[in-house]
Amino acid sequence: MLQSCPKLSRSCRRPSLPTFLRGLSTGAELPWQHAVRTKNGFVNAIVHTASTRTNNADGPLNDVTVAVKDNICTADMPTTCASAMLRDFTSPFDATVVRLLQSSGATIVGKTNCDEFGMGSLNINSIHGPVVNPHGATSLEMESARHSAGGSSGGSAAAVAAGMCDAALGTDTGGSTRLPASYCGVVGLKPSYGMISRWGVVSFADSLDCVGVFGKDISSAQRVYDVLSAYDSKDPTAIPEDVRARARGACSEHAATWSSPTSSDLSGLKIGIPQEYFPSTLNPSIISSLRRTIRALQRQGATAIPVSLPNTSYALSAYYIIASAEASSNLARYDGVQYGLHVQRPPDALATDPASIYAHTRTAGFGPEVKKRILLGTYALTADAFDNYFLQAQRLRQLIREDFNRVFIVPDPMAAGPIVPTSAEGVHVLLHPSAICTAPPLEEAARTAGRIDTYVQDVLTVPASLAGLPAVSVPGGSVDESGNGGAGWPVGVSVVGQWGCEEMVMRVGKAIEDVGKESFE
Amino acid sequence: MLARAVPCRPCRLTNARLAHTLRTYKEDPRWPGWEVIVGIEVHAQIKSRTKLFSDALTSDPGVSHNAHVSAFDAAFPGTLPRLNPICVDLALRTAIALKSDVQRRSTFDRKHYFYSDLPAGYQITQRYEPIARGGVLHLSSSEIAVGIEQIQLEQDTGKSTFDARHRVSTIDLSRAGTGLMEIVSQPDMRSPEEAAEYVRSLQALLRSVGSSDGNMEQGSLRCDVNVSVNKPGQSPGTRCEIKNLNSVRFMMAAIASEVFRHISVLKSGESVSQETRGFDEDSGVTFRLRSKEDAPDYRYMPDPNLPPLLLDTTRIERIREAMPELPDETRARLQILGLSRRDIDVLTSIDSGWEVGYNGEIGKGATAYFDALSVGRDPKVVVNWMTHELLGQLTIRRKTFRENPLSLEQMGSLIDLVQNGVITGSSGKTLLRHMLDHPSSEMPIELAGQLSLLALQEGDSLDQLCAEAIAALPEEAEAVRRGNVKVLNKLTGRVMKSSRGTADALSARKALERLLIPGGANS
Repeated sequence: MLQSCPKLSRSCRRPSLPTFLRGLSTGAELPWQHAVRTKNGFVNAIVHTASTRTNNADGPLNDVTVAVKDNICTADMPTTCASAMLRDFTSPFDATVVRLLQSSGATIVGKTNCDEFGMGSLNINSIHGPVVNPHGATSLEMESARHSAGGSSGGSAAAVAAGMCDAALGTDTGGSTRLPASYCGVVGLKPSYGMISRWGVVSFADSLDCVGVFGKDISSAQRVYDVLSAYDSKDPTAIPEDVRARARGACSEHAATWSSPTSSDLSGLKIGIPQEYFPSTLNPSIISSLRRTIRALQRQGATAIPVSLPNTSYALSAYYIIASAEASSNLARYDGVQYGLHVQRPPDALATDPASIYAHTRTAGFGPEVKKRILLGTYALTADAFDNYFLQAQRLRQLIREDFNRVFIVPDPMAAGPIVPTSAEGVHVLLHPSAICTAPPLEEAARTAGRIDTYVQDVLTVPASLAGLPAVSVPGGSVDESGNGGAGWPVGVSVVGQWGCEEMVMRVGKAIEDVGKESFE
Repeated sequence: MLARAVPCRPCRLTNARLAHTLRTYKEDPRWPGWEVIVGIEVHAQIKSRTKLFSDALTSDPGVSHNAHVSAFDAAFPGTLPRLNPICVDLALRTAIALKSDVQRRSTFDRKHYFYSDLPAGYQITQRYEPIARGGVLHLSSSEIAVGIEQIQLEQDTGKSTFDARHRVSTIDLSRAGTGLMEIVSQPDMRSPEEAAEYVRSLQALLRSVGSSDGNMEQGSLRCDVNVSVNKPGQSPGTRCEIKNLNSVRFMMAAIASEVFRHISVLKSGESVSQETRGFDEDSGVTFRLRSKEDAPDYRYMPDPNLPPLLLDTTRIERIREAMPELPDETRARLQILGLSRRDIDVLTSIDSGWEVGYNGEIGKGATAYFDALSVGRDPKVVVNWMTHELLGQLTIRRKTFRENPLSLEQMGSLIDLVQNGVITGSSGKTLLRHMLDHPSSEMPIELAGQLSLLALQEGDSLDQLCAEAIAALPEEAEAVRRGNVKVLNKLTGRVMKSSRGTADALSARKALERLLIPGGANS
């Protein structure tokens, strides 16, 4: 059973200020440094601060500050994955994405809090304590008024929302970038599977894991994505250059009909509204917020078309089987022998085989959510369950992929064989709410954690993960007073495109950002 | 003889039955009235410079602990596998040599278990779709064909050793992640001897294509053996697997021990239970490791990091065209050159201990030395010099062929000096011994001059030695003059001795005849 999360204010470990921030607190302090100094104490977004700055003054990101999720390896800071298992672990190498950030001149400000090994939707499964949603929060606020930042990349979303950095790296296995982006009111991009190298990204579920990019706006996320989206021979699932080029070509061709960098006219853009993405649990105020966004896009010339993705209802089950099965395999390496936590077996304990010795370390090192998923995944892979669970889930995953291919006008560049002629009926992108509700209060989150309805949220985000598609959550305004309970809290709108259509997805994201600004003005 | 023309795809059981019915029963005096069925799983380490999925170097025996370990080999978080194409090429060579059907698409799976020499908690293997299926290996002595079920690529584990005195386990990850080929045979062997010939033939084949050292003692080739016993004409008995046999001799002993155990169980009216067994090298008997009920559930899962291995025809054909000569082909070729079976056995058995180069580089062994020497020379003369003289003298000096100090040029020139009569055969042998004892780069002709081994030509110096012999042995000389030609041998021997081998025996005899029997040299 899941235990309630640690109490917020006192139990959280607070990182000390990095050397390069000390002495800067007066006068020369930059706005982001001020934010870290004044807000991180209660937001709890950054858990290790960078002590050295690697700066390439001529790099394309030389004016950009970036925080990195704590499940992405860094050689000069710990990589804990928010787990007691890796509390004191520092990787011997930098992840490819970290190396790319450094060589492009970005300033890495530190490592961000997250759910343990990326498992969770509320960022409450962390040895560093929960992340507090910085939206409207002040250090003086009552604990009862604190809201979740979402998970699992809650620290990255919160760091961007609190102004501690311009952009942040997260990971997204089933929504871990898009959901916290929605809760915190920032942009969160989950790119196509295989676009950004996973070398140095600690695996949760390899076939689903993507590096996600957070930005305060579309343009900051885009700048960072452009640097990271490169083939890496160290990642066997990285998509080769020729496929990238083919996908870019197909995407540009279909975007050319409606997209112009100089005009806000969206005539020709077809936006699909998938009917299965409006479950009964969806908060009505979120629907009205989405409607406003759609209407604004229609005013610019876009067409909204209702579409159906009939296999969506299976996505959640398929996702939890596949993700948990892969997690049970990937987390088998944490045995306390080569690195990480090692718990001595009690003198009277069995020592007949390594598994019974490892059990002491694994029992102490993993939190309840991680244990639950390891057990589920282990079961799904047993000889008796494999066909009915794991293989069945793989078949469903294929059906979900086919659902998407049927509605998109852009052909799937990954499909084997001749490319099916595109249907004129097809849509360019899909639009749906990023979350079924706004950021829940942390107290409520702790109380309901582990209940089945906490997983229902994932229904909106896991289909794109299973299909490997690019999806971006963009702030779609905030819930108005008519909403029950979430008034004033941000809501995200998700834009999903065909594999490799990041350019299209981000352009629509930019249009949503722009109409949002207009409606505020 | 069992011929397998079509690569086999059906399940193991069907093939077991098929093979079983095709071999006629031959009574074995050790266990009359019983038929023995043996199948073997061989794990052969791939002789690539780097590991199957990482850039770390592979390790020769004796490399210090944990000398060759990458972050991936130690299963550090964030690491990912990268398939080494050289391992794939070497597996393809093996598959082609075994007439196995190379699969255009194969996949990698994870096999899970917790053990201290397996840092990731799983081994990457090819459970569902192996790189090659079917195949056959012909055994020349037993005159049978052993079917190959499949060849799969997988990772080797590390090594863990337990120090009982200090109660500490030591883990060495230098071996962890080295590429292995698992080669699974059909249950086509009927005796420990056939099993031994299968393993030895497979070793020779792997070495000839440069894919593995195939060395059981050093652990680069390991065998798991499946044994079952049944009454002739009845269906195969329940099989037991004997794990981790590390020499052909122990494997034969283990099979025999297991056969006797099965027979005694069956004779007592009980049935053999399916289990995994080990072999105690000291007592020479097998012992139970675990029963079928205790078999672990390995929770096989397709590896989500490794895309399917797709092999196009071009790549397979490139390997096929560059295939090194296989042991059977070498034997056939040497036979055509006129070498005796014994000579061929000697050359190829030396090669079986020859070290294989990395990444498929073919070792230059005794056959290669012979081939090079035979260019422009009589192969039979060359093989005589190699097997009788060179190898004989190396053996006396307790040296292996690997330590042979004579370059191809030196050995070739030595043979030529004798063949052209520049030195005598016995001088040639003396010179060879000298060169083995005093290795240098000097050519035989120079050394023969320094050692006064150049042959005495017919003429003054030979006549003088003959005259001395006649003077020294007057009675024998007189007997020859009287017509007793047999005594010539004694005089010839005297000449040979005083010439220290530089004289040619026939020339000396002719010279003596000419001196003692007027006109005799021409008769």
